[in-house]
Amino acid sequence: MGPFMPAGSTAVPVRLVEDELGRQMQALQGGDESPVHRACMSNLVIFCDQRSQAEEIAGLVPQIVAAHPARVLLVVGESGEPDAAGVSASAVVREMETGRNQRSFSEQITLHASAGGIGRLPFAVRALLIGDLPINLWWATHQPPPLAGPLLYDLAENAQQIIYDSLGWVDPTRAVAATYSWLHEFELGLRGGHWRVASDLNWRRLKFWRRITKQAFEDAAAPGAVASATELVVDHGPHAVVQAWELVSWLTSQLGWTVQTGNVQQGLEIGWQFHAPHGVVPVRIRRLPEGPPEVLTLRLQCMLGGTPGAVVIRAEESRRHVVVLENVVSAPRTANFQAPSLAELLSKQLSDRERDSVFTESMAVAQLLARSVLD
Amino acid sequence: MRAYAQLKVKLDALDQQFGIPGSRVFYLAVPPQVVHLCVQHLKEAGMVRDAAEQAAFTRVIVEKPIGRDLNSAREVIRVVGATFAESQTYRIDHYLGKETVQNLLVLRFANSIFEPLWNEKHIDHVQITVAEEEGLAQYDADTGQMTSTRAGYYEGVGCLRDMLQNHMLQVLCMVAMEPPWSLAPEVVRDAKVGVLNCLRQLNANDVDKVVVRGQYIEGEVHGQRVPGYRKEVRTSFESMNKELPPGSVNSTTDTFVALKLFVDNWRWAGVPFYLRTGKRLPKRISEVAIQFKDVPQVLFNSHPATPLEPTVLSVRVQPEEGLSMRIASKLPGPKIRIYPVKMEFNYSSSFGNKSPEAYERLLLDVMAGDATLFMRRDQVEAAWKFVMPILDRWEQTHVRDLPEYQCGTWGPVEADRIIEADGRAWRNV
Repeated sequence: MGPFMPAGSTAVPVRLVEDELGRQMQALQGGDESPVHRACMSNLVIFCDQRSQAEEIAGLVPQIVAAHPARVLLVVGESGEPDAAGVSASAVVREMETGRNQRSFSEQITLHASAGGIGRLPFAVRALLIGDLPINLWWATHQPPPLAGPLLYDLAENAQQIIYDSLGWVDPTRAVAATYSWLHEFELGLRGGHWRVASDLNWRRLKFWRRITKQAFEDAAAPGAVASATELVVDHGPHAVVQAWELVSWLTSQLGWTVQTGNVQQGLEIGWQFHAPHGVVPVRIRRLPEGPPEVLTLRLQCMLGGTPGAVVIRAEESRRHVVVLENVVSAPRTANFQAPSLAELLSKQLSDRERDSVFTESMAVAQLLARSVLD
Repeated sequence: MRAYAQLKVKLDALDQQFGIPGSRVFYLAVPPQVVHLCVQHLKEAGMVRDAAEQAAFTRVIVEKPIGRDLNSAREVIRVVGATFAESQTYRIDHYLGKETVQNLLVLRFANSIFEPLWNEKHIDHVQITVAEEEGLAQYDADTGQMTSTRAGYYEGVGCLRDMLQNHMLQVLCMVAMEPPWSLAPEVVRDAKVGVLNCLRQLNANDVDKVVVRGQYIEGEVHGQRVPGYRKEVRTSFESMNKELPPGSVNSTTDTFVALKLFVDNWRWAGVPFYLRTGKRLPKRISEVAIQFKDVPQVLFNSHPATPLEPTVLSVRVQPEEGLSMRIASKLPGPKIRIYPVKMEFNYSSSFGNKSPEAYERLLLDVMAGDATLFMRRDQVEAAWKFVMPILDRWEQTHVRDLPEYQCGTWGPVEADRIIEADGRAWRNV
């Protein structure tokens, strides 16, 4: 199989990439005298380790740059037979939809290497970054960053933000156990004037869940529910265990509960005993055999109006979230929520470079939860 | 000597043929140790006219390196000066012929917004980067065979002498000089030498702390494996059928230099200038970056963990001449979120035509008798005076191995420490 090359790209030696981009830009301008702009807010380096994933992401790039114009370096490092050519490159300039009398273009460079050639990719990336613009690294593989090794650090050299997605992580428990320490080291282990942040797209996906959970557990909405909680259960679809884990970590950290013990039923359920101000509360995250890869239901068993009940938040197929108070006569509350696409999620994250202390705190709790399970 | 005599006959014949007065420009792109021979032969062949002659002129261009240290530079200056008057001598540094370098003067003194900010009150620091992709040798892209090498010149000379002592200090002068009171060559050159005279002299201890040299080892450039410096030296000498000098077996020639310096005058008091240059770096780029001081850590800059990117004016000398300014801007949307944006001016896209090559411009200046962009003898000497403590210290320390950096990286980690110790970082260029 030859080097990966997105549709419309032109294969070119690495050393001639800039020339090729210039040539394509000029060709696209043609005889038109309206101004031509290279739209570029940042350098976006995307790393994938599978061709199928690279194909999927290449299809998203036009949507991403429409929201966040960037020079995209799609870097594909496939394991397998070494490619004789070392690092292969291709380049494409695309016209973007902009206002009248103005034409904007975005650039995409694809770099491909396999097996032993993967270590050469950071060298090629370094030479193709546009100076003075922020560098974002989207670590798009399922390999968790804390377990990734030197390639991630080489690609993240001088990056202000690394974006990863814990959805579908391999070895989630070990990965979660390592994330908080890694975040600390990765974000704060820099000297000089450098700074960088790490962001998890999965955490961003939970934004709506966090908001609606907070509202549902407020005393005004469910009086005494939290103070009388007897069990918390989160159900999720396949591959969303880390999302559920992050939700539990966030929620228990907000409620001030502390973990005592944990156990795992491989592939089915993870459970913990939490110490809450009113006593011990079991918390479980359960994997459903099918369904979308996301948190599907959150159920807090508690006392409502003096009788046993539960606060249930359920994601429905129509992208509606329903909040139900079980055993209480009241109409369910609903909230509409349009789940952002991966391209939208990423575009928003690219512009959002503030360090999220709530995320960090939640990951500190997540680490304790993971350790309680691993111990 | 016979060749010079033949040259004179030929040139005289051409003058006669075309009816021209016999003005001559001699260009000495030769090693410093043979400059005296060339000059002597030109004189003996009767090809040097007196500076006062009106009918025609004789001028000499002296290419770098002008010496390999202060003493040899003075010797070159002396031997050239024995035959040519200073007004006939043009010490060339092609960097000064670049449009952007000349534009520094215009940028600073033809725009009302920059000069009031061009001082220690507003500028945090300045970075000058001259990065080369090339190593010692050139290779055929297809076969990987060595096609040419500069080993004969470069080995034993190194980066400090080849780049920093001349190009970079000359660019520094353009950045840091006081406003000249006219554009007359001597006035501009006075202003430039004023900067060199204000450079804080380094002692041995300073050199250890604020100067880092390095040498490239095997690595990657543009996705291709490239050999380290020592191997290139060996292969180069083999290809030239020359014996490798004993001192080059484990060469300690610097292919990378980074340093911090200060211009001790009223304008630049306390403002560090960070200079770095090297071979086999990730990309070919030369730029001057003026980084302005941060805004206070209130309002938009109140997150100490993720401070706003500072405002930077970047003057790009090559490959695409131009300048850019990085400023903070609000991202569109209901929230106040700040993102750095870059305003760019590019010579080729603004003015259409490609700028003339630096040498074209400079050669034209020589013919026109305009020495503004050429180094006067005192400039050359002042630049060497600054560099000598570094060379002396390196000579004394006799290192066996220099800090190494892989081809395709931004130099040895030791270079990062110079700037990181001050809470700053090298720019992503």
